[in-house]
Amino acid sequence: MSEERLFKFSRPAWLNSIWARNAGVYAAGGLFSLAFYVLLDSAVWSKQANPSDVHITFVDWLPFIFSSLGMLIINSVEKARLSADSFSYSGSGVAWKARVVLFLGFAALAGGMAGGVTVFVLRFAVPGVDFPAMTMGVENIVANALVGLSTVILWVSQNIEDEYAYNLAL
Amino acid sequence: MPAAGLKTIIALSFVLAVGFLLVILSCALWKAYYPLLVVATYVLAPVPNWICSHCANPDDFVESSGAAVLDLGRFCTGFLVVMGLALPVILAHSGIIQVPAMIMSVIGGLLIYGTIISFAMFFQEEQEF
Repeated sequence: MSEERLFKFSRPAWLNSIWARNAGVYAAGGLFSLAFYVLLDSAVWSKQANPSDVHITFVDWLPFIFSSLGMLIINSVEKARLSADSFSYSGSGVAWKARVVLFLGFAALAGGMAGGVTVFVLRFAVPGVDFPAMTMGVENIVANALVGLSTVILWVSQNIEDEYAYNLAL
Repeated sequence: MPAAGLKTIIALSFVLAVGFLLVILSCALWKAYYPLLVVATYVLAPVPNWICSHCANPDDFVESSGAAVLDLGRFCTGFLVVMGLALPVILAHSGIIQVPAMIMSVIGGLLIYGTIISFAMFFQEEQEF
C-alpha cells in the first residue's frame, strides 16, 4: 500500500485510527446542526425582534434545503463503487451510475451555496438593508457554507473508515 | 466496573440535581419556560447512538453497511448535542429569554449531559469479543 502512494508526505498514523473517524462523524453532525440553527436564528429573529420590513420567507430556506439534499445524496453513495472500473467482477455500469449520482449531489450542494449568495445579494445587499437586518442575509451564507463544510468532514471521515477496513482486511 | 460504586452514584446524582436546578431557575426567575427544551434535548441526545448501535453488526467489516448505520447514529447525536447549546443562544438573541437565563441554561444543560455520558461510561457493561 505504501508503494502506491501519490504524495511525498504520508498520512499521520493517528488519522487512521477509529477514534479520528468517530470524532469526524460527530463533528459533521455538530456542524450541520450549527448550520440549521444559524438559519433558524435568522427566522426567529425576523419574527420576534425585527425592527425592519424585511422578513424571512420560504425563499430564504430554499438554498438550505438544496444544500441538505446535496449532502444527503453525496453521503449516501457507496464510496467503494466509485473506483469499481478497475475491478473485473463489478461491471462499469455501477461506477458510472455512482458518478452521475455523485455529480447530482455536488451540483445540489454548490447550487445551495450559490442560492445563499443570490438571496443575500438580491434581498439584502441590492436594496441596501441596514445592518441589524442584514445579519439575516449573512446568516444565510454562513449556514450554507457550514453545510458544505459538514459534507466535506463527513466524506473524509468515511474515507478514513474505508482505509481502516482495508488495513484490517489485509 | 467494580470501582464505580456508591460514591460515584451519589456524586453523579448531585451533579444532575445541580444541572436541573440551574435550568429550572433560568426558566422560573424570568417567567419564560423555553429553556426547559434543553433538558429534553440532552436527554434525547444519546438515544440515536443507542438505537443504531443495536441495529448494526459491528463485526461486519467487508460491507460497510453496518458502519453506515453507526455513523448515522453518531451524526444524529452530534446534531442533538449542538442543538442543546444553540437553542438558548437563539432564544437570547431574539430577546425571548434574557442573557443570564441563557448562560444558566447552557451550564445546566452541559452538567446534565455530562452526567448522562459519565453514567454511561462508568456503568457500561464490558463488551469484549
